[in-house]
Amino acid sequence: MTISMKLDGAWLRAAAFATVLSVPALLAGSAVAEDYPSPDETLDWTIAFGPGGGNDIMARTIIDILNKYDLYPGDISAENRAGGSGAVGWGYLFGQAGNAYGISTTSGSFVTTPLQADTPWQPEDFTPVALLATDDLVLVVNGSSEIQNIEEFIAMAKESPVNIGGTGTVNVDFIVPTLFAQRAGFEFDYVSFNSMADQTTALLSDALDAMVGNPGEILGLIDSGELRPLVFSGQSTPAALEGVPTMGDLGYDIGVSMPRGLILTPGAPKEAQEWWIATMQQVVETPEWDEYIEKNTLTPTVLYGEEFREFLASTKSGFSEVLRSVGAID
Amino acid sequence: MDIFSDLMMGLSVAITPINMVYLLVGAMVGMIVGVIPGFGPSAGLAILLPITFGMDPIGAIMMLAAIYYGAMYGGTITSILLNTPGESATVASTFDGFPLAKKGRAGPALVMQAVASFVGGTVGVILITVLAPLFAQVSRSFGPPEYFLLAMMGMLTLIVMIGSNWKLGLLSALIGFALGTVGVDLETGQGRYTFGSAELIGGIYFIPIAIGLFGLGELFYAFYQGLHKTGTGSIVQYDKEERFWPTAQDWISTRMTMARHSVLGFVVGVIPGAGATIASLMAYSTERSISKNPEKFGKGEMAGLVAPETANNAASSGAMIPLLTLGIPGSASTAVLLAAFLLWGLRPGPLFMEQNPELAWGLIASMYLGNMALLTISIFAIPLFVKLIKVPYRILGPTVLVICTLGTFSVNASFVETYLMFGAGIAGFFMRLYGFSPAALVLALVLGPLAEEALRQTLTISRGSFGIFIDRPASLSIIGVTIALVVLLPLLNRFGKSAGDAEKAGT
Repeated sequence: MTISMKLDGAWLRAAAFATVLSVPALLAGSAVAEDYPSPDETLDWTIAFGPGGGNDIMARTIIDILNKYDLYPGDISAENRAGGSGAVGWGYLFGQAGNAYGISTTSGSFVTTPLQADTPWQPEDFTPVALLATDDLVLVVNGSSEIQNIEEFIAMAKESPVNIGGTGTVNVDFIVPTLFAQRAGFEFDYVSFNSMADQTTALLSDALDAMVGNPGEILGLIDSGELRPLVFSGQSTPAALEGVPTMGDLGYDIGVSMPRGLILTPGAPKEAQEWWIATMQQVVETPEWDEYIEKNTLTPTVLYGEEFREFLASTKSGFSEVLRSVGAID
Repeated sequence: MDIFSDLMMGLSVAITPINMVYLLVGAMVGMIVGVIPGFGPSAGLAILLPITFGMDPIGAIMMLAAIYYGAMYGGTITSILLNTPGESATVASTFDGFPLAKKGRAGPALVMQAVASFVGGTVGVILITVLAPLFAQVSRSFGPPEYFLLAMMGMLTLIVMIGSNWKLGLLSALIGFALGTVGVDLETGQGRYTFGSAELIGGIYFIPIAIGLFGLGELFYAFYQGLHKTGTGSIVQYDKEERFWPTAQDWISTRMTMARHSVLGFVVGVIPGAGATIASLMAYSTERSISKNPEKFGKGEMAGLVAPETANNAASSGAMIPLLTLGIPGSASTAVLLAAFLLWGLRPGPLFMEQNPELAWGLIASMYLGNMALLTISIFAIPLFVKLIKVPYRILGPTVLVICTLGTFSVNASFVETYLMFGAGIAGFFMRLYGFSPAALVLALVLGPLAEEALRQTLTISRGSFGIFIDRPASLSIIGVTIALVVLLPLLNRFGKSAGDAEKAGT
């Protein structure tokens, strides 16, 4: 008896759950004539960078999760449309305004490329789904340096200006140390490099005093003691950098980071946006997603819909303010 | 003995039937992406990377690495037969490889390039096996001052490349430097001559320019000469069967060339960022400046083909050192390999070889096997490639044009780069007609931005003082080597020559 009661209970709960789920679906169905997403439509997933890059890995991770948990009913076609630091791929998505089946993942260039080139689109033009994570930077010195911690570094920098290396100028690599130095009250010379590899070599050769970079690419050098991490720019320190303070911990919170999120075409239907928000809420709960965040030392920062659009707008204005003040952009 | 046991362990990991299949697939794919102009190893690697996600990392890394060094073998084939570099590191191989083929020595040139690639690649792997920790010190002593001096040393090469008409040669180099200024200025972040185009943010990439100047320029020139009208017309001569194998003279005269440039190429490859392209250009000019008959260079001198070919393969081995010992990629291709390591959850860095001995030594062992496989494949494939040049030019010419266009477009899906390639092709034709130097233009385009960026980084770091070049031991030693190259070598040469002349006069 008790067993059947339990079964009944479970069945009832399931039935109630199904009804709750199906009611809005029915309502939506009557309102817009068809359900989103339709299994007959192929989802056109634009990856604005080449295979193997950070944007590509994130897009393919999300697609794998969608497929594994059967979250998306139709086919997903992922295509790399690289070129012009993302201008080509996001330009392609921009050209399909209103299409409910055009989607793309964002990364730092989503904010910086429109600041540098005449793209027809701005980050706020697209229909925001969710900010999923941010790329944050770690400030490191050579392992053989006398500087043991961030307090010593700031004290040294206040005495005589230091140099800090990073990748590119219209980039978070330049903006993060600039804001940090303003807050902490020291001066520095920024040395711009073409790649993380170039700047790491320069730091190891003792040409630089310090550099900023994504922790994922230099964890090996940090583990072996060749590089010493001093401070992290994200809201919380990733496990791999345990013991390293954040800029916020020191009272110099800079509030800037590179957005890794998901966007739809400009003016995509409301139900498409809502469906994707609900779906991404499930995606970020999966163990596969946790593994992705940890492997790539990202900071999980989740914002949905309009909050993501506001985040993009404020990031963009923060960037252009700093860049304009140094004359990097007009 | 320790190294030997590590290597044996690596071999035992590498030699499983399935891994051998991966290795061969990688070698073949590498040759193919090398042959297609514009489509270099980094693009080939990036496209194949996603299929390795589910694979065992050892097999996958063996395959990816084989694509990388396999492209160095394949890239020369079109350099020799069509004057079209298949890959950036084989630009220098067109200088003497194509004239050799025109002289009817396509067969020996292809065999010698395969052997030179094998020697360079294998010596490189031996040096990794024995001296990896030592060379890791070299990779970590390079900062902006050293890169600037290295670029300056490379620019000395320009003197050699400029050729007989120095005014036109100099003008060619200046055009190259001018093109090198396009793109966002690294220091201020401001666009230079980008005209708001997102595709020019990163500057003008030299591969489409090289394909246009060399490959298309040659093609247009052949049409200009009316080669397509002659039924069996072909720029490249190849008919006599007995001329397939290199002569004893070829072997003897290039013995020391291979030895020299295996080491030179490897050392340049070890320096992150310098890579196989600069190694091959430096090898060519060094070989020419120490040669007893520099006047034969550019007209089909075997040593002029062997030098860059040995060096680019040795450099591709050398580039594994910073990757394996520091986790720093030395080139675009090793950057993709690094991305692969990260994808598999590995942590490249100084502890990588210690923590993953099977993977590291399996990779090194597989490079010995891969080079052997590539040597065999190359030699067996030569008759096939030689058939290609028997195709009448009216068919071959347009086909090459289509392949160059597709190859260039497919790398970045960029129309701007495709137009640049066509523009460079037309410019290349006129440069050829009026005696300009396309080689000097390409070299200036490669080295100009490198020198500019490194110098500005250096001066930012030193706050404007040039003393930094003398304060750092590494840069001081590069200055020493440069002085030796500029002052001592010509002196030695003159001395050797006059001694030789005296001898001749005496007899």
